[in-house]
Amino acid sequence: MKLPIKVSEESREPIYHQIETQIKSLIVSGQLPTGSPLPSIRVLSSDLSCSVITTRRAYQNLETSGYIKTVQGKGTFVNEVEGSRKEETKRKVVQEAFEKAVYQGKQIGYTRQELSLIFEKSLSEIFDREKE
Amino acid sequence: MNVVRVEGLTKHFKKFHLGPLNFKVEKGTAVGLVGSNGSGKSTFFRLLMNLVHADGGTVEIFGKKMPSSEIEIKQSIGFAANMLEPFYQLSIKEISSHFSYWYPSWNQNKYEDLINRYKLDEGEKFGKCSTGMKKKVDFIFSLSHEPELLLLDEPTAGVDLGSQKKMKEDLIEFLEDGEKSLIMSTHLIDDLKQICDNIIILSPNGKVQDFLRKEEVEENWAKFWVSELTEELRCHPHVIKVNDSQHPSYLLTDQKHVVEKELREKGISVISIQRLPLDEIIEFQLDS
Repeated sequence: MKLPIKVSEESREPIYHQIETQIKSLIVSGQLPTGSPLPSIRVLSSDLSCSVITTRRAYQNLETSGYIKTVQGKGTFVNEVEGSRKEETKRKVVQEAFEKAVYQGKQIGYTRQELSLIFEKSLSEIFDREKE
Repeated sequence: MNVVRVEGLTKHFKKFHLGPLNFKVEKGTAVGLVGSNGSGKSTFFRLLMNLVHADGGTVEIFGKKMPSSEIEIKQSIGFAANMLEPFYQLSIKEISSHFSYWYPSWNQNKYEDLINRYKLDEGEKFGKCSTGMKKKVDFIFSLSHEPELLLLDEPTAGVDLGSQKKMKEDLIEFLEDGEKSLIMSTHLIDDLKQICDNIIILSPNGKVQDFLRKEEVEENWAKFWVSELTEELRCHPHVIKVNDSQHPSYLLTDQKHVVEKELREKGISVISIQRLPLDEIIEFQLDS
């Protein structure tokens, strides 16, 4: 079993957090429905070329926050996530992505107004393209 | 718990000295052994297996001493290191009957599954097999008696890509329950990235140059692209390499957080931070 997850070498964000966020968004977007099996820690570590300890940390955090559960001897599965929690997480995932982009824009030297314009432009590019 | 404990292990040849080697392998982990040709990787495995006699030092496997518990220890080791050549006149099937006799834990079903999985013809004489096929046979024999520890000398060398992938899957499965351990030498960076937890780097003069833990590499090693490089930074104990022949300059560190703090305090702006890929670290360690 493979997951569409990628770890960025460039990111300041720790690898375990990248894994955690991406699995969370797969769950709340419904792409990993309740009960779906997840790859074992060894297998996912191998797929992502990262250490077992890092993957284990991501799984532990996901388990603590109730997104996944481990059944002894059977494996790890997606847990039932409440609707309200799902909405909150969805928003958080998107907000974090925006924040990353804003951070990058700020580093390049753009002002708040300029970034706002670029944001509007990105919105029209993507939504208008879809309309065509 | 340590599965393998090696202390002060040495072997002297006329022109080459291996060791003194000191290292431990924790139960449930995979260790990759890298080093240039002639750095003693194969001798390393033969020393562990007591196939060449050490000039000094001790080897403990499963908490028991080599060579006094040699037979007992070897029952639980899967060893693949191009040692089947003397059987060149026998077919794979005939060799397997020897193995099943030597190892009480021999699992015939597992052996047959693996023969099919790697599409080998059991009737083929070992001597007639290609380099890659021999490697596969070696690999299959190392796994078929359900060992607790695998010692593999370049298992993927000369093996076709499809079978390399299968070997990787089989090794991951072997490691899955966290009870079994692996030491493998390799020249393939993907083997290290995808299978190994820790990496032993052997220097060209037969010493352990470094013992890398993958999680520490992920956490601590980084490349900083910076606006300027000061003399202080150049001499910083945790700055292990700088390149200022280009702009922007960069530095490599094995203590990301220490150097990041230092840069912030000195007001040097960081253009980008990258995690260091394993190959770059190994290349650096082998060069230094």
